[in-house]
Amino acid sequence: MPPFGKVLVSNRGEIAVRVMKAIKEMGMKAVAVYSEADKYALHVKYADEAYYIGPSPSIESYLNIQRIVDAAEKAHADAVHPGYGFLSERADFAEAVEKAGMTFIGPSSEVINRVKSKLDGKRVAKEAGTPIAPGSDGPVGSLDEALKLAERIGYPVMVKAAYGGGGIGITRADNADQLMDIWERNKRLAREAFGRPDLYIEKAAVRPRHIETQLIGDKYGSYAVAFERECTIQRRNQKLIEEAPSPALTPEKRQEFIEASVRFGKRIGYFALGTMEFAYSDVTKDLYFLELNKRLQVEHGITELITGIDLVKLQIRLVAGEHLPFTQEELKIRGHAIEFRINAEDPLNNFTGSSGYVTYYKEPNGPNVRLDTGIEKGSWVPPFYDSLVAKLMVYGENRARAIETGRRALRDLKIGGVKTVIPLYKLIMDDEDYQTGNFTTAYIADKSEIFVKKLKEKEMLKTALAASVYNRGLMRGNRTQEEGTARPKSAWKTYGVQAQANARVMW
Amino acid sequence: MKLLRVYMDTGETYVVSYDQKDNKDTIKSEEGEMVVEFLGKGTRENEYLFKVGDQIHSITLDEGFLILDQEEEYKVDRVNELPVKEGQSIEELMKGKEGEVLSPLQGRVVVVRVKEGDAVTKGQPLLSVEAMKSETIISAPIAGVIEKIAVKPGQGVKKGDLLVVLK
Repeated sequence: MPPFGKVLVSNRGEIAVRVMKAIKEMGMKAVAVYSEADKYALHVKYADEAYYIGPSPSIESYLNIQRIVDAAEKAHADAVHPGYGFLSERADFAEAVEKAGMTFIGPSSEVINRVKSKLDGKRVAKEAGTPIAPGSDGPVGSLDEALKLAERIGYPVMVKAAYGGGGIGITRADNADQLMDIWERNKRLAREAFGRPDLYIEKAAVRPRHIETQLIGDKYGSYAVAFERECTIQRRNQKLIEEAPSPALTPEKRQEFIEASVRFGKRIGYFALGTMEFAYSDVTKDLYFLELNKRLQVEHGITELITGIDLVKLQIRLVAGEHLPFTQEELKIRGHAIEFRINAEDPLNNFTGSSGYVTYYKEPNGPNVRLDTGIEKGSWVPPFYDSLVAKLMVYGENRARAIETGRRALRDLKIGGVKTVIPLYKLIMDDEDYQTGNFTTAYIADKSEIFVKKLKEKEMLKTALAASVYNRGLMRGNRTQEEGTARPKSAWKTYGVQAQANARVMW
Repeated sequence: MKLLRVYMDTGETYVVSYDQKDNKDTIKSEEGEMVVEFLGKGTRENEYLFKVGDQIHSITLDEGFLILDQEEEYKVDRVNELPVKEGQSIEELMKGKEGEVLSPLQGRVVVVRVKEGDAVTKGQPLLSVEAMKSETIISAPIAGVIEKIAVKPGQGVKKGDLLVVLK
């Protein structure tokens, strides 16, 4: 018996399609919502039903709680899946869904409220004995206080917005001068972006990597951790390439991450899926808890590939009240998986978004390749939302095999009409430091010069070849032949050709 | 010798000089010079082979797109030949005229902070262009007086489009 009859997915793009796949597999009906800009979007076509919720800007559509709940009621949905981003971690949304008599697929509004900000998370971690970076216990009131604190814990320090998210509002200060420079500016940015100017300070990890664990819990206090994901390859604190397991962890260290995560989950009675984000130093081997993401994570697919679990189906069942169907001991890592976030962005132009129609589109497939996509040929990539259009995931029996498959699949994936980060990823796959797992969160920033140089050389080559192709009239070249191919109109003619081509005709 | 402006479908434009001698094309751009030798048709339909340095590259034509080496797809909207005025150097043409501020990206103009006739200092913000939730501020490359503003707020711009003329 499926736990629900009909589930509304209050999201768009690839994650909406991914979640609907789980809903359909479980024998339930999938309902989409869409904004003006997404009228013809893939997730709308893929759903069993779809409802219009408002104009293109997300504040009037995908962030509009009332309109989404109205749509869910109209559709007679039993549950709402928020995906990631948008309203996925908003307690008021979870509450509105609960009040309308439907199930919110995620932790309850009550649990969400237990960890509202990053500082709440740090406090809970401290109580649970999950390691955190030395730093302030609450918001830091003034610059003077900040300077004193930074002096005590030692530079470099990270200055973060307490209510921040999505990698925005995080700055590193290497000394007092830099701290003085950024303090007021970050305060203003935090107020503009998140409505609250509160900043806090913590010690920066030495040569940090970004490692997160997949926490899974049921409503009855059982927990398991589906291991870790390494999300160190980032630009501007936003992830680009993730992999599982992390090449930097020993089995003992992995155990430490798992135990630290479970302690945190137990402390707040967390349930469903959660992601515990940590900074990890290769040098000092310290792990610092950063924050808990109370939702399905973008990069959940690589955990699915190495554990064989369908996390979305599991999430739905756990929220419906089922027991955790496995123990920690039963979980095993098999092989290695890498995810590439396919963003419609121009890597040559500081990753500015590239909006437009997808006029050429070829999907990779074959052994060990998974593509979660929100676009198809003819799709419009609107400028209103996140630039992530698809996620390419590859699998191998070990890391080296996964990289080989990744390189092949990146070449097979062809998206024309908008700029994508695919050319950059091809360069990263060929980079020795990536191949040996030797990187920190500064990897892209440190190597940007060489990557940009190589990308520009490629652009020059493409331009030069285009100039040759056009000036030699090659674009017109073979068209007549294509059109001139004889297509037999009569089935008898086809029969005749086949009969003569077949050796058996001789007998 | 020809001067070409290559318009990519994603909004970039490149100005290159193009010189064809038998099978060899010499192409020059801001980035440098490249000699492309046309080797002829490949062994498949719609495949053409070129030699650049010691590397052989293939271009396959598919649905109006050019596929480089079977892996990288791109499309050219058009290639225009530019008139070359006497005394004008190629370098000058490639970079655009001094004082012309071109859009570095495709997007939408959000605000124009100056008006025609304003005096601006070097580095002063002129306008901002938004692309996918992030705003890029375009600053004056030189000090001068705003002679012309070619765009209005809300207007869509492509990369390489003229925004402002400074004098």
